[in-house]
Amino acid sequence: MTGPALHGTDAAAPADGGSRGAGLARTPRLRIVLGLARIEALLMVRSMLVLAGLLAGVLAAWGWFWLNPVQPLWWWADWRIGAAQLFLAMTVLVAAQLAAGRPRRDAMADLYASFPATAATRTLACLAGLAGAVPVSVLLAGVGVVMVQLRGTIGAPSIMVLAAGLVLVIAAGAAGTAIGSRFPHPLAGLLGALALFLPTATAHLLPVWSIWLIPWHYFPDQLGWLAGPLTGYPPAGGHAAELAGVAILAAIVALAVTVRSARARGLLATAGVLAVAAVFFAGAVQLEPVPAAELNHLAAEIADPGSVQHCTTASGVRYCLYPGFGRDLSSTEAPVNEVLALLPVRPSQPLTVRQVLSVDFTDTGLTRGQPQQQVSQWTAQTRNAPGNTAAASTIYLTVGEWAAAGSLTDADFNVALATAGWAAGFTPAGQNMPRPGDQAREAIAIWLAILATRPPASELQQGVQWRGLSLRRGRPTFVAIWNYPGTGGVSAAWPSRQPLPAAVYLMAKAMTRLPEQKVSQVLKDRWATWLNPRTTDAQLAAALGIQVPSGPLPPYPQP
Amino acid sequence: MTLNVSTAAVRVDGLSRRYGAIRALDAVDLTLERGITGLLGPNGAGKTTLLSILATISEPDTGRVSVLGLDPRDGTERLEIRRRLGYLPQELRYHRHFTVTAFLDYVAILKEITDRRRRAEEVARVLAVTGLEDRARSRIRTLSGGMRRRLGIAQALLGGPELLILDEPTAGLDPEQRLRFRELLSGLPGDPAIVLSTHQADDIAAICPQVVVLLQGRVQFAGTPAGLAGTAAGRVWAADERDSRAHLSWRGGDGRWRHIGEHCPAGAELVTPTVEDGYLLLSHAAGAR
Repeated sequence: MTGPALHGTDAAAPADGGSRGAGLARTPRLRIVLGLARIEALLMVRSMLVLAGLLAGVLAAWGWFWLNPVQPLWWWADWRIGAAQLFLAMTVLVAAQLAAGRPRRDAMADLYASFPATAATRTLACLAGLAGAVPVSVLLAGVGVVMVQLRGTIGAPSIMVLAAGLVLVIAAGAAGTAIGSRFPHPLAGLLGALALFLPTATAHLLPVWSIWLIPWHYFPDQLGWLAGPLTGYPPAGGHAAELAGVAILAAIVALAVTVRSARARGLLATAGVLAVAAVFFAGAVQLEPVPAAELNHLAAEIADPGSVQHCTTASGVRYCLYPGFGRDLSSTEAPVNEVLALLPVRPSQPLTVRQVLSVDFTDTGLTRGQPQQQVSQWTAQTRNAPGNTAAASTIYLTVGEWAAAGSLTDADFNVALATAGWAAGFTPAGQNMPRPGDQAREAIAIWLAILATRPPASELQQGVQWRGLSLRRGRPTFVAIWNYPGTGGVSAAWPSRQPLPAAVYLMAKAMTRLPEQKVSQVLKDRWATWLNPRTTDAQLAAALGIQVPSGPLPPYPQP
Repeated sequence: MTLNVSTAAVRVDGLSRRYGAIRALDAVDLTLERGITGLLGPNGAGKTTLLSILATISEPDTGRVSVLGLDPRDGTERLEIRRRLGYLPQELRYHRHFTVTAFLDYVAILKEITDRRRRAEEVARVLAVTGLEDRARSRIRTLSGGMRRRLGIAQALLGGPELLILDEPTAGLDPEQRLRFRELLSGLPGDPAIVLSTHQADDIAAICPQVVVLLQGRVQFAGTPAGLAGTAAGRVWAADERDSRAHLSWRGGDGRWRHIGEHCPAGAELVTPTVEDGYLLLSHAAGAR
């Protein structure tokens, strides 16, 4: 129907008197809104779209928390749970757009216009019906929390950050309602969801100051490398407030499309101005620099971890962990103690296992708004921090990279390997040493780590690979290397982060096929000889009565 | 032309409505009493425009409308009209993923039936009236065209409206479904005022005590079906041969030609006119003008 129309007009309140208006009942608007909202909420919670969004969010969380071999830290993981809510938010946006556009899309607008309930009432009900997305969002957050908690996570989740994820979903739903009130075609909702997602996918192209324009994306890179939450990084309160402002603004836009009365429009305009102001204010709050005192403290934590760490000595080994990481002590001790138990002779130099931080102060997301001179000072302060250079008797575990806790055998193997390296007398200054692969103690260290942690043999063998070195007369040369299992995050004198020659592993593997007692006896009898850098694999093989193994190797790559 | 009845459900004075250059309604004066009124007219005659104005969906350019004694231009009274109104638009696609009950429940809320128990009773009542109880839990997309039309009537009946406006409710229905629709309409409880538009003159003859013929935006006739048929009295003949002077002529199932016109064909016999004859004669006259 075109021309002057009465669609969705807000009827004025019934007159108290007058001949024709007398006795007319007042509109039970709240009850209508609640009744319709209940139905809309049920439709929302049963929507296949929303369930698909929930599933996508759960899968994303599973990928981040379960497939990722690194132990999550709560001050990082809660933001990730918020990011998982983006998938749900996208589908809630589409579902809300479909709901708001339903009357026009289904050619029911004329019928609905003949009802006492106005279009504004229906829009209000659609907005209230977004309550149906709340339990889904809470469920997603709950699943994320359980996943993270099962990984033995350090710290505690921020309720504010988790709540921001919920607000994100509601804001997306309100945006969907606003879109659907004006554009009923389903494509409009899909475009809206795309508009929600695209800035997230391209946020890395935007300058850091513009990040507040897309508050649903805010995800600071360095959170996972911190030893604890950092005040103001990121500003969770401002983030949640901005999302709430966006939600209110979207709701106002949705209602503005359907409300006709001048008074209601005036109220909406006022609320809209307030919401815009709130969004801008929250955006400005998010651009506030991280307090310099916090960054000073962080720099000190990095440069001199001993000043804040709690150290414990067990079995003659010193463990120094950041506050809050105490419960990782037992899982850190286990592989070390297993190696110690296998040693015929323990080195005289004591071993220290220490956590370190690897934080980049040149990241403008972290140090935005700080004077350049101050940033340079922090960078210089942390340049020679422990962990940046290897030490003979210290194993460094980088927070956020080393997968502590639980049954993470790769991480255990890595620590065991570093401990065996210490036991075998490796030093960081490797000059004047025979090239790697010719020292018997390398194979011995790997054998010790294997016996200490018993990683799956197939996993160890998978580490044997060919690596292209250089082009000689136009043809590449390949060397067999061994990538030992592990996720990094462990820094020690040996092994370095470079892969070892495959021959070292093959020798250790051959040793594991011999009776453990026999190998132990051979090692014990001439321990000092075996630790000599000039003692070769051939000598060790001869002592063990075996040939130096040359395989198995994967097929040589064809050029 | 006015049908003056004291218990008027609808009163229209000088109603006009244009869509650009097209004059959909042209100075329509009309008074409709309670009971069933059939609005007859070809496509584009202005039936839907008139019904949408009566249903308070659109406004006229000029003229005055009174529905159930209330003025739809006044916000408060318009709301009251909507409370007392049941409307079935010409085309509805429905929310096809809703169940029948869920859809009626939804509409009942929109009609301000907010008490849950009363709503359930009301939904059950209209399901019974329209014979849709068996399909209460069915998704709308599984219903046949006739059932969807009944569902449309069911939603219009929610709340026991005093005025039912049905825009071509029998369109697309097969003869049996049309018969059922007539049954349904004739047996509605509460005796609401009903205005229905249709192309089907036999629907009018069957159930409408009053009929209004709308042609080119103007009321050409308002009265009883017998009165409409009577306008063709003395101008309808049956003959064995076709007569070229007749305004309209067609061969019936009995093989004889039926003529409507001013001249008696040779060998023809005068027959009793039907509502359709009267309507066709009016249409022809309006077209000739």
